[in-house]
Amino acid sequence: MVNPAFLLAVPLGLAFVIPLLKFISPKLTIFIPPLALLFNLIASALLIPEVSEEPIVVSIGGFSPPFAINLVAGPVGALLSAFIGLIGFLVAIYSLDYIREGAEEKYYSLLLLFLTGATGIVLTGDIFNLFVFFEILCISSYSLVAYLGDKSGVEASVKYLIQGTVGSSFLLLGIGLLYGQFGTLNMADIASQIQTPGSTSIFIPLVLMITGLGVEGAIFPLNAWLPDAHSSAPSSISAVLSGIAIGIGIYAIARVVFTIFGAKPVFQLLAIIGLLTVLVGELSAFSQDDIKRLLAYSSTGQMGLIVFGLGIASIEGVTGGLFQLLSHGLSKALLFLTVGYMIYRSGSTKISSLKGMSKITPIASLGFTIGAFSLVGLPPFMGFPSKLMVIRAALAKEELLFLVLVAFVLLGTVIEGSYFLRIVQVLYFTKKKSDSKGGHQPVPLSGLVPICLLIVLIVIIGIYPGLITNFLNSAASEFLNRTSYITSVMG
Amino acid sequence: MLATILIIAFGGAIVSYILGKFSSRLRNYLSALVWITLIGLTSYSFFTTPTTNVFYPGFIGFNLTLRINLLSWLFAITISVIAALSVIFSFNYIRGRERRDFYYLMILLVNASMLGIVLSGDLLLFYIFWEIMSWSAFLLISYSKGKALAAGLKYIVMSIIGSGTMLIGITSLYGNYGTLALEELPTNLATAPPLYLLFIFILFFVAFGIKNAILPFHTWLPPAHSEAPAPFSAILSGMLIKMGTYGIILLFYVISGIKLFLGLSSGVWSFHYILCGLAAVTIVVPTFIAVLQDDAKKLLAWSTIGQAGYIMLGISFGTNLSMAGGIFHFFNHAIFKSLLFLAIGAVEYRTSTRDLNSLGGLIKKMPVAFLATLVGIGGLIGIPLTNGFFSKWLIYKSLILDKQPFLAFAALIGTWGAILYSYKLLHNIFLGQLPEKYRDIKKAPISMRLPLAILSIAVIIFGVLPGLPLNPINKITTSLGFQPLNLGIWGTVSDTGTVNTLNIFLAFVLVSGILWYVFRSGAESPKVSQENSYAAGAPIPEGKYNYTVDFYNPLERMLKPYLKDLIDSFYSWIAEAVKQISTRVRKIYTGYVGTYVMYIIALLAALILVQLGWKIW
Repeated sequence: MVNPAFLLAVPLGLAFVIPLLKFISPKLTIFIPPLALLFNLIASALLIPEVSEEPIVVSIGGFSPPFAINLVAGPVGALLSAFIGLIGFLVAIYSLDYIREGAEEKYYSLLLLFLTGATGIVLTGDIFNLFVFFEILCISSYSLVAYLGDKSGVEASVKYLIQGTVGSSFLLLGIGLLYGQFGTLNMADIASQIQTPGSTSIFIPLVLMITGLGVEGAIFPLNAWLPDAHSSAPSSISAVLSGIAIGIGIYAIARVVFTIFGAKPVFQLLAIIGLLTVLVGELSAFSQDDIKRLLAYSSTGQMGLIVFGLGIASIEGVTGGLFQLLSHGLSKALLFLTVGYMIYRSGSTKISSLKGMSKITPIASLGFTIGAFSLVGLPPFMGFPSKLMVIRAALAKEELLFLVLVAFVLLGTVIEGSYFLRIVQVLYFTKKKSDSKGGHQPVPLSGLVPICLLIVLIVIIGIYPGLITNFLNSAASEFLNRTSYITSVMG
Repeated sequence: MLATILIIAFGGAIVSYILGKFSSRLRNYLSALVWITLIGLTSYSFFTTPTTNVFYPGFIGFNLTLRINLLSWLFAITISVIAALSVIFSFNYIRGRERRDFYYLMILLVNASMLGIVLSGDLLLFYIFWEIMSWSAFLLISYSKGKALAAGLKYIVMSIIGSGTMLIGITSLYGNYGTLALEELPTNLATAPPLYLLFIFILFFVAFGIKNAILPFHTWLPPAHSEAPAPFSAILSGMLIKMGTYGIILLFYVISGIKLFLGLSSGVWSFHYILCGLAAVTIVVPTFIAVLQDDAKKLLAWSTIGQAGYIMLGISFGTNLSMAGGIFHFFNHAIFKSLLFLAIGAVEYRTSTRDLNSLGGLIKKMPVAFLATLVGIGGLIGIPLTNGFFSKWLIYKSLILDKQPFLAFAALIGTWGAILYSYKLLHNIFLGQLPEKYRDIKKAPISMRLPLAILSIAVIIFGVLPGLPLNPINKITTSLGFQPLNLGIWGTVSDTGTVNTLNIFLAFVLVSGILWYVFRSGAESPKVSQENSYAAGAPIPEGKYNYTVDFYNPLERMLKPYLKDLIDSFYSWIAEAVKQISTRVRKIYTGYVGTYVMYIIALLAALILVQLGWKIW
């Protein structure tokens, strides 16, 4: 067993080694992120079965909770950290050849910092460290969005920075109010003191935190930064931003609402917001003609579905929401990675420039198709069981409200299907343009490996969802069972 | 056994794709071999006892089961035969086109998933195969590029709408009864309140009606059928839309049962009469739209909608005669409509057009295609001694016996219309003057003539001996709770009237013999070449004389103003509206960061307001 603290220490440490290593051998720097993330992936994957019974609580500095800074690697933490490791690892491999310009070593250390931040958010056991890791995540993503240094990238990054900072300030305000009331920053400790449904003095920090985290989680109407940021970033970064960052934002909301506040009714409200997010996201994507913006809008729609799943607040609903989080992460990462090379090849992000791409980049086009099918929720791909779980859980509530909500969610799916399948047609069934401005080399091996791995994962999990549903189930019960979380941390 | 069938079907699709990378000849042979094997396996399963077995326990908490009984067997064997013949037909048809491996993969996948649909023992597995069928059909419809893209998109969007409603229905059934097994649902639904039953019926009916192209869900079908490659049009029209029929039988007679289905009414409004009305409209309107078509495949596509109306009418009418007629007509339609699509495909393959205004006179150039079309339209119209006769007779008979003049009249009008457009089809392609440019047309290759011959023979055999398929169909209807019919191999004897196709056949042979003898013993008639037609003494303008243009011109002028597809325009209007809304919605994202920060604060304020107002927590 690996101490969960290493999951943070290794990527964080290596992130700072990279700039130093550049002086010794610039060529070696690019191999550090894949190694670090492979370590994270394997270590967290080994943790998953271990923590499904009893979470591992690591206290830094030898004090016991609530006094120490602690990490809690429960089922949720281990699962999501493995997920971050997986996507991060694949993106790091993809970047080997994809990132060829600019200050590469900065890219890699920022990428590692970004993933450290994400891992920290899912593993931390106290709210102040939640904030710290959150800022690490946000700040590194601001700079990564502007990595290409072009006008649109910088503009998007600044907009993102402004909105992200407003969000972070709200988050910090909420944390400060909680600290003022309870005199502790430990999640479990605060949770044990908020037992009865709250007064306004507890509700205010709750909404401050939801709003603050919601900016990163891209719930409507806080997601205005996302289309710009995701479309201006390099495609590898769009993949982690869309696949990991916003999902982690949703995770943090769930952690705050379920574990700290135990406020399930609030999540019912969030289910409605989730539905709005779905509809606005899908409608915005519908008439989009820029492929990356389209994918970005579709991400907001998918976040809505995840929030909707979590908002059902039953064990099936939360399992479905988490499953959807993973399946969206894998599918959207696949989509952005494949689109990255297509854009590189066609020299433009316009959908019309992707005509006949399947002839030029066959595997990338196949990857795009499978990613799109999975997001729409067509069997036998991963998005099908996850969407099915969410819908089943919603209808198991036997409330008219949820029936109506599900109908609207499926309306979102129809819109989603129409724009994604239109692009599949463009890739396969249109004549390619004679003049393509981009390069002509085939997609390098470092690009094909992550794409193929993601395809295989999406198909295998789509056919055997049983591979991960058990872990998802225990993760969902960690969210819904506050008391056992409190006892396992506080002892 | 059932799992083996599916593994061969799906595995064959993937293996043939991989094989195609090495040798296209081997790929072709393997694809055909897979489906010939499957014909064998499904026929063999006829003799095994009906079984149900769980083959995949615990797919996110559901047990996926496979099941076979006589109903699913009948569908399975039809799927296998049509699939095998279409694959063989594809050998030449698809040669020279690009992305052939993909074509074979998809065509095998569509058929494999259709087999999966009919062999499913629970609704979730049904849904999974249903979706695989939908997207692989979408890819195949789009395969021809150009206009096919819009057709494919229209198809898949309607299809996703249908699967959405079906998914709500499935999850709602599961939420209420905790099971999706086809065997357990009837006992559970027996006590369901009528309103809930209606809710479930409508949800599923939207999905099945879209696939089966019942009005008002038919708009995807004409472009999809005409733009798809011909062998796939045959599958689309022959089997894929019949999955909707299968679903409807499943929904009304297996899951809920005949009593609940026929008993669902309130006052004068009875659910199944409303469906019958829909089916009658589906027969009449598309039939006359078909008359006006100038594209051979579009004509057949509209005709498919009309014929689907007959099937739907038979099934939803709900007497033993009409039910047997409905199922039998599905079986017959699968045969003669795939025959017609393949015959037109052969013509299109040689002439590279399917425009009825420019073809003509191909009778001597493509005799097999001509005979196939002749036999096919015989079945379509329902001429005695072809298979369509008996199934239509059963439907008419049941409507008349049950004193339904309007429905019977609609069914008859449909047949008159069918005669009009069938004759137009036959005449404009094969009869009349041969245009100059088609002088050197060769007959279709053997891989095309073989499927045409087999299907034509089937139309005749099942026309002369309708008892062959009717016996299992009778068993099916009996197992669904209907009174058994009194059947012989050549027809039916009952108090409702007797049909003896064997007598008709003998009379036909006898009369033909006499006629042949009379004409032979008469004077030798002069031989007139095909080109030497009568033109009122005037010299024939070379290459321009073709009286297949504007075939039903007066009728067209009469009908055209009334036969606009308003429903299609309505759907296009919705699509346009969604686009408008979408552009509006995007204006939420103004691009000005001040607005965005305001949104953040607004949400915070809204959440606090909600708490203050409703005290949600």
